[in-house]
Amino acid sequence: MVPAMNKLPRPNICRRSIFILIVLSMIGGLLSCGRIDRSRSVIVWEQMDPQEQIFFDQHVAEFQLRHPEYADFTIERVHYRTEDLQTQFQTAALAYGGPNLVYGPADKIGPYSIMGLLMPVEELLPQSEIDRFDQVALPILDGHVWGLPDQIGNHLTLVANKGLVSEIATDTDTWIKQLAELTVDEDGDGRPEQYGLVFNLLEPFWLVPWLGGFGGWVMNDESWPTLDSPAMVGALTFLSDLKQSKVVPLECDYPLADTIFKEGRAAYIINGPWSWEGYRSAGIDIQVASIPLVSATGLWPSPMTSAKCYSINRYMDEATRQCTADLLKWLTGTEVQIALAKGLSVQPSDLLAGQDPGIVNDEVQLASREQIARGRLMPIVPEMRAVWDAMRPSYQSVMNGELSPEDAAPAMQKRATTMIERMRE
Amino acid sequence: MSARRTQNRLAFWFLLPSAVVLLGVVAYPFFFNVYISLTNWNMFHFRNPEIIGLTHYFRLFAEEDFYRIFGKTIAWTAINLVFHFTLGLGAALLLNRKLPGRNIYRALLILPWAMPQYISALTWRGMFNVEYGAVNLILGKIGIGAVPWFTNEFWAFMAPVITNIWLGFPFIMVIALGGLQSIPKELYEAARIDGAGPVRQFYSITLPMLKPVLLPALVLGTIWTFNNLNVMWLVTDQGLPADKTHILVTYVYKAAFQYYRYGYAAAFSVFIFLVLVFIVKGYNRAAREEAY
Repeated sequence: MVPAMNKLPRPNICRRSIFILIVLSMIGGLLSCGRIDRSRSVIVWEQMDPQEQIFFDQHVAEFQLRHPEYADFTIERVHYRTEDLQTQFQTAALAYGGPNLVYGPADKIGPYSIMGLLMPVEELLPQSEIDRFDQVALPILDGHVWGLPDQIGNHLTLVANKGLVSEIATDTDTWIKQLAELTVDEDGDGRPEQYGLVFNLLEPFWLVPWLGGFGGWVMNDESWPTLDSPAMVGALTFLSDLKQSKVVPLECDYPLADTIFKEGRAAYIINGPWSWEGYRSAGIDIQVASIPLVSATGLWPSPMTSAKCYSINRYMDEATRQCTADLLKWLTGTEVQIALAKGLSVQPSDLLAGQDPGIVNDEVQLASREQIARGRLMPIVPEMRAVWDAMRPSYQSVMNGELSPEDAAPAMQKRATTMIERMRE
Repeated sequence: MSARRTQNRLAFWFLLPSAVVLLGVVAYPFFFNVYISLTNWNMFHFRNPEIIGLTHYFRLFAEEDFYRIFGKTIAWTAINLVFHFTLGLGAALLLNRKLPGRNIYRALLILPWAMPQYISALTWRGMFNVEYGAVNLILGKIGIGAVPWFTNEFWAFMAPVITNIWLGFPFIMVIALGGLQSIPKELYEAARIDGAGPVRQFYSITLPMLKPVLLPALVLGTIWTFNNLNVMWLVTDQGLPADKTHILVTYVYKAAFQYYRYGYAAAFSVFIFLVLVFIVKGYNRAAREEAY
């Protein structure tokens, strides 16, 4: 015992009370830290591209101007990468928190709705608001609409650098010859200075159009994978041969493909509407076209199409309900969709916006619509996650030369079915 | 006796706020995680999970992938720690000498640690590109052929290892440098008088005197490396090639947030926790034996 401590006076009741007060106020302070007043803020979590973010901010500013009744509301946009958005939203909604609206491709809506994190749109808005959309664009599962889209598409197309390509090939036989001519290795070091084609060779999203081009698809109507098919073998063989012919870079992920094309060192890129404005800004004169018809089958490649939607958090603060509803109507409304379509070359999901002459007569929009018509809607069921993850490793192994297409197709199927069974356990 | 009670009470009140916080942010999540691991919590039972006992634990040990990934995690942790320790200590020994421009070297060597891990990992991923990456371009200049960093399983594992060695050694360097500066110079003078050379001085003075600071740093380093999701996940772009490059935490992340298998992922987390407890116990025992 420290002798000096013996001299300490006994704490009296007053001092003890002060201690208790301090402790309680600290605990209270800590607890209140976790409680944010959400009654006057409408929060939107998104995974928009930079260009989309600029448009969003402009449209929100316009909304606030037109709706003085929401002057005391703050509308906040929080950006996340695709995977982070999913993780954050799941975690927040689990604790009955999170944003009012969550924005992203419709494929995440399946899991969210099954987990009970979303409010069906019909609970927030009247049916007339839902009827104004192209019904193909609406994410419908179990009879409910789980989000409202501000655009449809999110699809891959062929984009040509008009400075390098005089005439866009329309079938794969012609195209492959053209790609070989457009791949230039001036110094003969094995690293071409110019490529015929660049695209993300790692992600199966870029494999899917070819799967369709060989007559296959990822799953059947019962949401069961259909990856072990001659069509998959055909698609994998086609892409593997493309790589072997060295008209594409040896290892090419999305950023690399994007950079090479922006530098004007690739004749073609396979990419979606989100990228076109970036290419124009980089000074590339682009032309959008459908991915060439597969000569061997006579079928058009069918990229996945999907809508980008605003979904409603079931656990949003009731006090923000009306403001959220009005904001949702505005952000997916005809006026905003026309602005988005003209500014970003995306396809409107609103029927009226789709009839705007500026959109109907636009050359890029026309090519984009043509590609959408040849595409297929991405299933929004949660099993799609297992299908993606099953395709990715085998697809990469084929492209690395470690696996033959004939072995890859059954491996994909087995992995997908195993994962789906595990998800359902 | 009364003063002792008063003192204890005082200590109790001072400790109470932090104890409450610790209960809230450590104990509660831990026990909640154990609870989740015993349930069938997944996408289909998100709001109504049911207790299913140890099913997930049995499933864990029955899966082939588990043993492969566990082995990789051990290799990942061991390789990183060996290099963190040797490079960190080596750099600290050099910087402890009188060198021209020592402060500049010190700042430069701390830089990897000061940079956000996320940025470093993505930058390294770009540098490992087979055709355009800086690493292969440099190797090409000195006559070494292109390394297939992300298409070969071995090299895909080495890519995040190299990144994490670069990221992690400054931590040991900073700790060791602090420890080195606190060793009395007289000990070295006495050793020199007794005829001890630099190697003998290192093993008989430097290393034993650094042990009290290095051992906790190694414990922390082990835990951080074992649980380092960012570097493995980002450098290999979620497991390149073909989902083969995973450690336990990246596998858990995938199970929880991509497959919504919360119960299974929680069981996996409990296993990771137990492994780390075992490792820390080992360190503690080593430290105790050293002390006696």
